[in-house]
Amino acid sequence: MDNTTQFTSLMENATLARAERMRMLPMRRRTNRSRGEHLAGKGGTSTEFNDYRDYVAGDDMRYVDWNIFSRLNRPYVKQYRHEEEMHVVILVDASASMQFGDKFTRARQLAACFAVMGLMNIEKVSVFACQHATQTPLILAPCTGRISMKRIFKFLEEIPPGGDFPIEKAVESVLIQHRGRGIAVLLSDFLTFGALERPMNMLFSAGLEVFAIQLLSGIELNPDLTGDLRFVDAETGHTLDVSSVGDLLGFYHEHLNGLQEHLSTLCRQRSGRFICLDSSQPLEEILFDVLKRKGWVQ
Amino acid sequence: MTLPGFSALINAWWFLLLIPLVIFYFLKLRRPRVEIPSLALWRQVITDQRVNSPFQKFRRNLLLLLQILLLCALVIGAMQPYLYSNARHVQNLPVMIDTSASMAALDAPGGRSRLVEAKEKIGRLIDDLLPDQQICLISVNSSARRLTDFTNNKRLLRETLARLEPSHVPSRLVDGFRLTQALSRGNSIESAILMSDGNVPQDIEFELPFKLNFQKLKPGGANVGIVDFNARRSRTGWEVFARIEGAPGTKVQAEYELRQNGQVIKSELISIEGPRINPEKAVVEGEGDKKADQPTGERLMFKISTDTAAMLELRLKPDGFDALDVDNVAYLSLPRPRQLEVYCPEEMTSFRNALAIVPGLNIYPGSDATPPAVDLKFAEGPIATGPESRVNLNVGFIPDDLAALVELESGLAEIVDWQRTSPLLQHVQLLDVQIGDQPKLAKGISERDFEAAGYEILAESRTGPLILERPGDGRLDLCMLFHPDRSSLVFRVGFPILVQNVTQIAFSRAHLLDAKAIPTGEIPARKLEPEKEYHVSGPHGYAETGTSDKHGYLMGMNAPFVGQYEINSPETERIGASLVSSQETSLVSVEKLIFPENVTVTAGEAEVKGDQPLWGWFAFAGLALLVVEWWFFQKKPAGVPG
Repeated sequence: MDNTTQFTSLMENATLARAERMRMLPMRRRTNRSRGEHLAGKGGTSTEFNDYRDYVAGDDMRYVDWNIFSRLNRPYVKQYRHEEEMHVVILVDASASMQFGDKFTRARQLAACFAVMGLMNIEKVSVFACQHATQTPLILAPCTGRISMKRIFKFLEEIPPGGDFPIEKAVESVLIQHRGRGIAVLLSDFLTFGALERPMNMLFSAGLEVFAIQLLSGIELNPDLTGDLRFVDAETGHTLDVSSVGDLLGFYHEHLNGLQEHLSTLCRQRSGRFICLDSSQPLEEILFDVLKRKGWVQ
Repeated sequence: MTLPGFSALINAWWFLLLIPLVIFYFLKLRRPRVEIPSLALWRQVITDQRVNSPFQKFRRNLLLLLQILLLCALVIGAMQPYLYSNARHVQNLPVMIDTSASMAALDAPGGRSRLVEAKEKIGRLIDDLLPDQQICLISVNSSARRLTDFTNNKRLLRETLARLEPSHVPSRLVDGFRLTQALSRGNSIESAILMSDGNVPQDIEFELPFKLNFQKLKPGGANVGIVDFNARRSRTGWEVFARIEGAPGTKVQAEYELRQNGQVIKSELISIEGPRINPEKAVVEGEGDKKADQPTGERLMFKISTDTAAMLELRLKPDGFDALDVDNVAYLSLPRPRQLEVYCPEEMTSFRNALAIVPGLNIYPGSDATPPAVDLKFAEGPIATGPESRVNLNVGFIPDDLAALVELESGLAEIVDWQRTSPLLQHVQLLDVQIGDQPKLAKGISERDFEAAGYEILAESRTGPLILERPGDGRLDLCMLFHPDRSSLVFRVGFPILVQNVTQIAFSRAHLLDAKAIPTGEIPARKLEPEKEYHVSGPHGYAETGTSDKHGYLMGMNAPFVGQYEINSPETERIGASLVSSQETSLVSVEKLIFPENVTVTAGEAEVKGDQPLWGWFAFAGLALLVVEWWFFQKKPAGVPG
């Protein structure tokens, strides 16, 4: 690492610089009415030409293409694309289960990267951190512009770890406060006893395209356990006696794959995306390789 | 498939320990705590139907499985399981071990003796001994000796077995059977095992009251040995004869040495060939009837001239492998040549006249003073009168112990039957001899009463016995109840023959005519000083003390080993004991034993297999399970943090 001052402790300046030049690629246009950088499907007043149509009474005369009128002697109106703003909602699961391995760190780094991409593309960015089920999520109010970058970094850096907020409840809690269409980036391990259909439906209904990123540590992806063990839930403190764990790892992997398949299906059916990442993977590899190849960012 | 049996089935109650074992296992299972992000997935796993299949549950509880197996192994071991053998389960098993000389035979150069092989087989039998079974070890050679009581103490049995050594005496199985029969009075005996090389007499005069398992060992290898060693008095000295035989199939050269009082007097190399073996019929030529017709081996003859007593030692040195070495030496004691001392009262004129023509006699009373002991004594009255003698002929007098059985009356009597093969009456014609004394049996007396009194009837008339003999205590008493002077016997040619027969008996008893090698087993009675303690020492540190009887005869002294024995009389007397057994040297084994009433027992070479105890295997399995369980319990689960 060079001696230059780090802009944030979450990532190196070089990584940040590369992230600033990237942008998210939603599968659908989910934009707000407010004017923004994203072209809307309908006609607008941007500088980007879209099409011609016949002039009808009442149209603004300024949009009549006079060159065509002079050649064809018929008035045609030039249409332009409408550019709208996209709201990027980033939900960081900060519960105790995220404290294993580098899950929480990686979640904050990815949140910072997505936020930077949003800010640099003149999107509205809001960040939610969910900890305790009994408390409301920590909220970073929607902000935009490069000027908000420092604020977002500070917010992410100061998220206290711990808590028992399940992801499905966290989504519901976020949607109570959120307004606007766009992208919802969910950074969680998705290890919850609750059903995930409902939060996914709510996100879809709210006009948010889901970017679900499941972050799992080594003990979750490839648990190397044998014998008779007493598992203790890091969030609830509940215990579970499991005998001959080594013999059950096959079943464990089957259920883990089933969970990932389920999440992937839920997202795909709602025009969203899902990816499972190993939290031990370097951020640069995730950001500039995995997500790029998957077409999440460019 | 034979199911195993259990000696201590009552210990099956210990299986009830499985209940608390399972309960305590689930109550007290020590599980390491592992903190994980969420139980969500693991809860799904353990509620999976496949995971909850009985087999999977069993696999998950491997520790419990190990503990159950450990307990089962220990309990089954405590139940003393055993596998049935083909042999019937017996509780008291006498094991007769043939320890005769042939059991020392080796099977090959540097090989093992028959007794060592027998010990190994019996050792395995002892190892398989069940708690309710007892073994009694019996050593059988020329006599039988109980080595242990009926016991299941394996250590004692093994130690006793280890101490067992082959003897230097021939086989005589009947004593072993009698001893086993005697043991059956105190213990129920259904069957017995005889462990032998088969080099035993085939015909056994014993009615088997139990089932006999005759375990035959493989016979020894090539062997040669001295089977006979004797001497006959000649005019010039002694003619010594020796016979050397070989085991079937043996063909070897050997050098013999003849020593007289320790000095080698002759040495020669001879070739010895044993009976040939017919490989097709596997029959040994020279056995049975052919044995007499086709004698094999080598006969040696030597002439010895000596005026004093001499000890001859014949030693054989085979040039090659020899299975048995105790038969390679034989001893022969030659007595000092002398006249036969005969005491015949002067009034017995007819006898003195008959004795006068017999050469080699010193007759008393005569010119010399009568010695206190003679070799032959004639008497007309009680035997006690006159000098002491080993052979006594009493005429015209009824001994005191026969007085209640028979009495003499006046009247003519004729001999109607006599034992023509008796040494006394050989070549003596007693037919038509008129006797003036008529014996009359007491009322109710029969021949059996004379036998009970120790007498054997040699000649008898219609009314009672006339000539009897009573052997015993190294003596021979011949009784002619009638007086020859009152019969026509003195006028018959048979009379001098009868007198000469008596002198021949006396010559033989005094060892003046011939000498034979003394076989191992027992030292013949020796005439020494009366009622005196004597110490007998022999080879291999053998020592024994005995007391002579009132007549001066030392009897019942053992000679268990081949070698020279010393009796510490005022003049130390040396006696040699030799194996000299054609049967032991031949190493020929019999395939079956024949008992009275056509009862035969066929030998089997297959090892006797008792019920196979299995508790050791279960104990070992329990130990292995304990080690596995300990390892499994102590093993730190992989991946457990900290």
